[in-house]
Amino acid sequence: MEFATFADRAAEIEAEPADLETVDHVRALFEESTGEIPEEDGADLERGDDELEIVARYVQGRVFPAWESTTLDIGPSSCYEAIARAAGTNVGPADVEDRLAELGEIGDVAASYEYGGQRGLGAFTGDAGGNALTVREVDETLRDLAAADGSGSADRKIDLLFGLFNQCSNEEARYLARLVLSEMRIGVGEGTVRDAIAAAFEVPTERVERALQVSNDYGRVARVARDEGLEGLDAMDLEVGRPVQAMLAQTGTVTGALEEWEEAAVEWKYDGARVQLHYDPDGIEASNAETRVFSRNMEDVTTALPEVVEFAEETLEVPVILDGEVVAVDGDGSPLPFQEVLKRFRRKHDIAKAREDVTVRPVFFDCLHAEGTDYLESPLTERHDQLVELLAEADEPDSDSLDEIRGLSLLWRTDDPDEIESIDAEALESGHEGIMLKDPNSAYSPGRRGKHWRKRKPDVETLDCVVTGAEWGEGRRATFLGTFELSVRNGDSGDSLETVGKVATGITDEKLADLTELLEPHVQTEEGQRVELEPAVVFEVGYEEIQSSPTYSSGYALRFPRFRSVRHDKDPADADSLERIERIRDE
Amino acid sequence: MFKAIVSAETLTSTLDSISVLVDECKIHLEEEGLEIRAVDPANVGMVDLSLDAAAFESYEADGGLIGVDLSRLEDIAGMAESGQLIQFELDEETRKLHIQIDGLEYTLALIDPDSIRQEPDIPDLDLPAEVVLEGKDLNRSVTAADMVSDHIALGVDETDEFFYVNAEGDTDDVHLELTRDDLIDLQVGPARSLFSLDYLKDMNKAIPSDTEVTLALGEEFPIKMYFGFAEGDGQVTYMLAPRIQSD
Repeated sequence: MEFATFADRAAEIEAEPADLETVDHVRALFEESTGEIPEEDGADLERGDDELEIVARYVQGRVFPAWESTTLDIGPSSCYEAIARAAGTNVGPADVEDRLAELGEIGDVAASYEYGGQRGLGAFTGDAGGNALTVREVDETLRDLAAADGSGSADRKIDLLFGLFNQCSNEEARYLARLVLSEMRIGVGEGTVRDAIAAAFEVPTERVERALQVSNDYGRVARVARDEGLEGLDAMDLEVGRPVQAMLAQTGTVTGALEEWEEAAVEWKYDGARVQLHYDPDGIEASNAETRVFSRNMEDVTTALPEVVEFAEETLEVPVILDGEVVAVDGDGSPLPFQEVLKRFRRKHDIAKAREDVTVRPVFFDCLHAEGTDYLESPLTERHDQLVELLAEADEPDSDSLDEIRGLSLLWRTDDPDEIESIDAEALESGHEGIMLKDPNSAYSPGRRGKHWRKRKPDVETLDCVVTGAEWGEGRRATFLGTFELSVRNGDSGDSLETVGKVATGITDEKLADLTELLEPHVQTEEGQRVELEPAVVFEVGYEEIQSSPTYSSGYALRFPRFRSVRHDKDPADADSLERIERIRDE
Repeated sequence: MFKAIVSAETLTSTLDSISVLVDECKIHLEEEGLEIRAVDPANVGMVDLSLDAAAFESYEADGGLIGVDLSRLEDIAGMAESGQLIQFELDEETRKLHIQIDGLEYTLALIDPDSIRQEPDIPDLDLPAEVVLEGKDLNRSVTAADMVSDHIALGVDETDEFFYVNAEGDTDDVHLELTRDDLIDLQVGPARSLFSLDYLKDMNKAIPSDTEVTLALGEEFPIKMYFGFAEGDGQVTYMLAPRIQSD
């Protein structure tokens, strides 16, 4: 297929506002990019020689399949320089940038120049016939460009790109520039390509979808759909070493989750960075390693995270794909903030040194593949059981306590909101972010931000409550006040206070010590563990929702209250009122 | 089989002539000497180089083909001091090139020649005009043109019999005329072509200023530039395709 044809079709697609018609245009393009079916004998063209695979990627502005970590590695300024060189006499990169400022989009800029001023030597050797640029030639050149490395590679990339622009018409240049800078923007998303593949090769959309999820390769799925049909698509599986898009979570509430699923799977939410571990003891195909680690964006972060590689090689015995997080920990193993993990992810040099400063630890919560079997479609609980087995077997076979298994994220199944609350409290106390709620029966949907996984919603609003009571702790916390009784003002006078709940969550030991020091002078009466406090201190408290409740004198209770901070700047008279609670509840 | 000893200067000149166009190249190890041909990725500039066995202190080869990373080889050549000899021996088994400079031994991994761009067909050009001049005069022309433009026109005035250089910038222009007196030789013919300075500058870098350079020119045709090095035992030919003249 000539690149000019691709550019024409891309322009038609770009001009098409309606989704269904867009799919139809893409379908037609896929059919058009299919080469002639070779004659039974004599023809040496194989169908794989046609350009369907390339076109299926290019319509989305991708040169390489999503799972491949290869990139063109060419910046906008190099692209501007290549355009300038091909554009004619005395055009410099500065002119290109000026036009970009004026026109706002690189495709328009590229299309505004005249190309072809530089002739090639081929024109003088007599062998050059109609040498229109083909999609395949563009692809081969872009692959050469990606492969250029070492000293002088930046110039070589510009030379190659100049060579392409020099052969372009204005419209070809428009889409070449956009392709190179990953700004295709012709309104073709992943769904469009999926639907177009289904329509062009008469296979069900959801089977195309599945094949895309396991392979992350639109070009290959298009070709398999055409050449091998449904059977071929269904035979596509996960491959160890080829990353899968991560399943994502939306925000949600405990109440909502339990209402829909009756029972929830609860996990700690780690303040870390998502990683996907691929491990094969016999070595991963097309790489000379046993372990590869990918980030959420499917970037290869293996060398940046040697701890994960060591973990895999010490712990695992069979080929697997695991989903998890890496958390940064300090010398005592306590979690460090997310930023510390990111520093490690971005680290390219002196990794041993970086590792001394911040250690990372992997925690896995899902198993997508083990020993040749894909588990994407299996329920979450089954996948977790599989994970426990994988990690326990190699670790401590006779361990009877799950939390002794290294690298395993624990999972609780419960329909009891109070139990969830205590899991949440424990997670927060251990320095983690909170909890994840998952539908125990759900499959793993790569790349989807679905309803099946929910991050417990961060507190939408906070209330400033007066602390009117507390309890002495037990054991380690016997000398600390805890479980603080919260009250709000009733009426404008602020004379009377009504209780709305108790907060015991979100407070570290250190903080408890501070709070005890702050509150102890205000103790009025003590009865067993329970103390009554003179209204003096105001807490900022987060909560999930406000419910009616006979337990507290206000008639309301804060669901899942969490301590946020002490409002040193507020007196009890400035605290929130019962009226406000009623107003929030009515909203 | 390939075994050779060559001076650092000769090796450096050889490599520099090629590396202005490409990063990797194939080297033919013929019985009579080395042959290298390469074309830049955009198929605009080409180099054809030969280095006779006589340019070497000693030379033995039987027609092999190797692929090399030029910058790597240039780095190694840079380790030799002026006047030092560099010794090569190809290990056919491991496909590695053993290089010795004084006590320094370097084992260079070769590149699969099949992974390197195909060597170009050399256009058979009938170029009517020929200009022979000193490297420094060509150098001066290119440097002057580069001050005002990114392109350079080279031509021959048939009536008044001189070679000229024109460069038109957005604001400033450069014009240079070299008559028979300024040139070593001039064969008059219809010639005027426009060339990209991006390429010509690079080629010019490899041309020594005290060398005699022959330019062959035509109308809207590629330019051919050839010169000798290594006391005449090495020959380089550059070929550069023209730009279309817009006016």
